[in-house]
Amino acid sequence: MVKNYLKWLWKVIRKPNEHQALKKYMLFRELNPFELSLVNACLHNREYRAGEVLFEEGHPLEVLFFIVSGEMQVTGKLNPQGSAVLKKHQFIGVIDLFGNNKRSGSATALTDLSVLALTESDFQDLISKNKRLGNKLLKACGKFLASYLQDMGSGY
Amino acid sequence: MNWTKIVFIVIILAMVVLGIIFYRPVFSYLIASLVFAYILDPLVTSLEYRRVPRWLSVLMVYAVIAGVLALFTTRMVPMLINQGNNLMALFQYSDKPVSEQVLALPFVRSVFEFLQNIDKQVPSLGFSAKFVHLIETGNQLLGELPKLLVDNYQTILSMISFVITVPVFSFFMLKDKQALRKGMLSLVPNRFFELAVILQDKIDETVGRFLRAMLLEVIAVSIMTSVALTIAGVPYAVLIGITAGVANIIPYIGPWMGAALAVLTVLITGKPLSMMIYAALAMYLVQVLDNNFVYPVVVGKTIRMHPLIVLVTVLAGGWFGGIIWMLFSVPLVYIVYSLVRELYINLKQFRLI
Repeated sequence: MVKNYLKWLWKVIRKPNEHQALKKYMLFRELNPFELSLVNACLHNREYRAGEVLFEEGHPLEVLFFIVSGEMQVTGKLNPQGSAVLKKHQFIGVIDLFGNNKRSGSATALTDLSVLALTESDFQDLISKNKRLGNKLLKACGKFLASYLQDMGSGY
Repeated sequence: MNWTKIVFIVIILAMVVLGIIFYRPVFSYLIASLVFAYILDPLVTSLEYRRVPRWLSVLMVYAVIAGVLALFTTRMVPMLINQGNNLMALFQYSDKPVSEQVLALPFVRSVFEFLQNIDKQVPSLGFSAKFVHLIETGNQLLGELPKLLVDNYQTILSMISFVITVPVFSFFMLKDKQALRKGMLSLVPNRFFELAVILQDKIDETVGRFLRAMLLEVIAVSIMTSVALTIAGVPYAVLIGITAGVANIIPYIGPWMGAALAVLTVLITGKPLSMMIYAALAMYLVQVLDNNFVYPVVVGKTIRMHPLIVLVTVLAGGWFGGIIWMLFSVPLVYIVYSLVRELYINLKQFRLI
């Protein structure tokens, strides 16, 4: 009886991490449950139909997109092959965010697409209002940019 | 033509219109709650980022405000009521007729004697009689204030319900800020999503920053005026200070209202005329400090409008809805103006127009 109560109490105190799925994205891999909950509070669910345009080249960058399901085709100068297909657990917008805040390419949903949208202002808030979280996010952005450069073949 | 879509839009519009009609009586409550929430949001958010749950952050901020208000009520309110009552009593309770009582005040006496002299030389003008009549009319208006309070008990009761309801509404607005934002943005079609995000951020930035700046400005001017008038020896310094602080929100006209109140108080309390100059100097000094140090730092460039437009807006606000609209007309016009500007720029950048 007491054991059952203790088990129940432990369950209540130690909430299961509801936002564990966010760790699948490279940007949020190092975040702890509290930091993930802060990020999750800022994410917007958006659904796109196959063929629908997410953004076009030259548009102002206001949102980072994280793919939950479906596929997205990205075209533009940042892709050496001219275009790339992004899938589940990939994201787009970070490179342009550290550029001139304009979209350097266009994105279209290849299949029905479900994404999480993080606004640029929320991203800035997450970085500036909690130093540890900001540090982790910026480090993850650095890692992502480094891997992008390596993929491009620059290697520096 | 997609008829299903048109019918859906018509139904949504009808629901919005019905909603506006149904919720119209509580609009003022909602707006006041929104203002309150905007002012407190940075404190709540900063606690939330320090691992305090958002609902607890709101309650903690409320507790601090309640504490400050309790301290203010026990220390300041009796003094303010006392100062207010004394000011009123000066005009009301006496065995002598009011006009005689006011005429006994040194400055008023000298003006009355001056007018009597003119009357002696040109009797048909009757300036002194008109002067006495003016004083009596002014007193009559002031004397009716307590009666107005009794007659408007319903208004007072609704004020009390207002004061109780606003923090409750604000609690939910603050606690569920992100959920409310998400809810609003989820209604926006994909094509306009990023544009809606930009506009929402702009509203947040403009309204939030302006309201918080105004609150700090009111507090700063109230304290500076109270201290300056106390040093100058003007009676009822705190009461005048707070009134001048609030009036200061009205651009260009507000500071003059505060100064006029200070000078008039010196006049009617029968203090030496030199104090009138000290009071005016004190108010001028406060304005210099405010305009050169407080305003640029606190309010800064939250509002960038040409002085002529500001003045015209304040006057139009006054004609439209009195003092309250004078207070809010400039920020309201500025917010609408900056939103339209931002909308136009972004519609072009997103190539929607």
